[in-house]
Amino acid sequence: MNRFGSVFWLVLVVVAGFATFKAKYAIQDLEDQLTKVRKQTIAAQSEIRILNAEWQYLNQPERLAELNKKFLNLTPIVPKQLQERVDDIPLRPTPEPATPPDLIAAASGGTPEPAAGASGPTEPSRQVAAAVPVAAQPPVAAPRAAAVLAGATPSRPTPVMGGTGTPHAAPAVARGPVPHVQLAKAGPASLDSLIAQIAEVH
Amino acid sequence: MLSAQRIDENPCRPRHFRPPPPCAPVVPDERAAAFLDSCRSRLVMTAALFAVVFIVVTLRLVDVVLLSGVPVDPRLASNHAAAAAAVALPRPVRADILDRNGRLLATTLDSPSLYADPRQIQNADEATKAIRSVFPQLDVNEVRAKLTSGKSFAWIRRRLTPRQEYDINKLGIPGLYFDHESRRIYPFGDLAAHVIGFCGIDNNGLAGIERALDSTVKSSRDPVQLSIDARVQFILHEELTKVMADFTAKGAAGIIMDVHTGEIIAMVSLPDFDPNHPNRGEAQMTPAEAKDRVFNKVTLGDYELGSVFKTFNTAMALDGGTATLTKTYDAAHDIKIGRFTISDYHGKHRALSVPEIYMYSSNIGSARMALEAGAERQRAFLSKLGLLKPVPIEFDEVAKPHYPNPWREVNTITIAYGHGISVTPLHAITAVSAMVNGGVLHEPTLRKVSPGAEPAGDRVISSKTSEQMRKLMRLVVQYGTAKMAQAPGYVVGGKTGTAEKNVGGHYIEKKLLSDFVGAFPMQDPKYAFLLLVDEPHPNKDSHGYATAGWTVVPATSRLIERIAPILGVPPVDEASPSITQALAIASLQGKKIEDY
Repeated sequence: MNRFGSVFWLVLVVVAGFATFKAKYAIQDLEDQLTKVRKQTIAAQSEIRILNAEWQYLNQPERLAELNKKFLNLTPIVPKQLQERVDDIPLRPTPEPATPPDLIAAASGGTPEPAAGASGPTEPSRQVAAAVPVAAQPPVAAPRAAAVLAGATPSRPTPVMGGTGTPHAAPAVARGPVPHVQLAKAGPASLDSLIAQIAEVH
Repeated sequence: MLSAQRIDENPCRPRHFRPPPPCAPVVPDERAAAFLDSCRSRLVMTAALFAVVFIVVTLRLVDVVLLSGVPVDPRLASNHAAAAAAVALPRPVRADILDRNGRLLATTLDSPSLYADPRQIQNADEATKAIRSVFPQLDVNEVRAKLTSGKSFAWIRRRLTPRQEYDINKLGIPGLYFDHESRRIYPFGDLAAHVIGFCGIDNNGLAGIERALDSTVKSSRDPVQLSIDARVQFILHEELTKVMADFTAKGAAGIIMDVHTGEIIAMVSLPDFDPNHPNRGEAQMTPAEAKDRVFNKVTLGDYELGSVFKTFNTAMALDGGTATLTKTYDAAHDIKIGRFTISDYHGKHRALSVPEIYMYSSNIGSARMALEAGAERQRAFLSKLGLLKPVPIEFDEVAKPHYPNPWREVNTITIAYGHGISVTPLHAITAVSAMVNGGVLHEPTLRKVSPGAEPAGDRVISSKTSEQMRKLMRLVVQYGTAKMAQAPGYVVGGKTGTAEKNVGGHYIEKKLLSDFVGAFPMQDPKYAFLLLVDEPHPNKDSHGYATAGWTVVPATSRLIERIAPILGVPPVDEASPSITQALAIASLQGKKIEDY
């Protein structure tokens, strides 16, 4: 018993000693790795600082302006380009006015024959547009675009303030140098013909 | 004890057993005993010695292995844990400074300087050639002289770029070393020179934010974020530079401020300097020019700002109830007081209502308004707006306003239109922000205010008066002295001021100070601006004028058109009923507005 106990403790001491040394060396390895990683991190951070400064230096507004002039030629945003509503965008394509066959179909209450409609396949949205009685009203888009084009020169503020009777009607949105187009001819004509007119003027 | 004796004493021994006779007679031999004794004691001594040595060795082993030993120099790397701890991430000498969008305005970089140990240089000629391949601008003879000097130390070149450091390392010349120092870098150069300031060679802040937040910047690892927007700063800088060049002015200054928080979005003072080399180029300048370059006009320059003060005068009268928008004052007759005569620049020679006084910038009308309100009320109101004490901002470089003491009647009159009191541009914009933002005065700040942490501020005028002031300021831009400030879509409003500079107690007609202060968009102001140009000279385009309306006002229009999209201010249709109604003045409805 006595002898067995001694052997047991001896083995235990040896095992424990071995395990301790093993752990100790494992930790040393890890610490060495940690040191290495920390050194790498410091080097990387210092490099990042340099690159950051360089990037900021390259992004100097004067330099960007010069590069823009050379390669892109972008101009700053003007209020004309920022519109609150989609409808305010000038020369935006809108649904075409109803074609006669559609109107006939709408009047008769039946769906238009594919052959009788436009040459292409008719979209459902156009059918809906045709179904409402729009024939009496002139199409909305063309005058708006024309007004935008005509109202090119911003009118000086009227010397009389507000109260002459009519409140300020929302006029055209565009304020830039856009060529004048005779409105009388444009009238309720389609958008295409309007664009053609502008092209002629030019 | 002998075995024979033991047997004898044993009571259980057999009777017939006789103890054998002793082998040899036990004769005490004294010599042998003494010898044996000494041998034994020597053995014990030796064993004890060994035991002590082994115990020491064991203890040391336990110490080294289990208790990780005594601390040793981490550089020897014999102790792993200590070595790892020593390689902690270094803290920069000064923290970075960022703009409100995180752009780097100031950073600290490791800047290597190249030096040689000439005793270790083997071939000086070859080394000189190699060094000159990296630095072609260095003088051959100078470098060779340094390398052959035989001393142990010689600077070759200070403050290398990382690429130059790499190139020198690549040469692999023994005897060349680097000395690493920290150096402050301002990547944007002169863009925000007066805001950021600069550092000395020992990395102490000497001006601007670097000086004001010196301890913060030194103690913190996290970057300091300013309220400045580098893009807006650039545009303001560019427009002011243009104004200065166009009108061959002595200087210019500009500020843009968030009216709801007091954050300064941009702050420019011209002429300025490059904080990377604050002293560069000073040799070619006169001392006055060199001084003017580092002088921050926005916080240090106190000026008589002129008609801009009519804003505060009108607000005082409206808020105090001594005037209403419909009340009229006699502006037909000049005011004579003592040796002074108060007259109008563009006299209308009739009674003017309060909006007209403000719009036409009538000195007489303003003076009468101030006289009616009284000196005490005027002084109290300007004091409430913070115009009689230095502006509370982070900077150390702030000027004390100059105002008359005692505050006489003639002072009341001149202060009504901005003469006889000098304040900094920062004072003026801070007070104007309070005029338009609903009546709450915020302390100006150069540090970013995080959303939700807006300071409460002090109410200085009622929100109704503030609304009236907005309408009046809009009126000036629509019909008054600042018509060229129109930035269509952004509903600009403001008040111009053109003051003659007071040099040695005399006002000099040719030395003007033109300024324009206002806000946009006027139906719900978000940003206030102030532009100032010092001693502008008329040019061909300005038809001989150097007043604010021809100098800073057109620049403001260009400025706002450029910065509004950046600041996220949506353009509106200025003619839309909601805008016109919000800014219409009922008493002027239907009246004919004379051309200014």
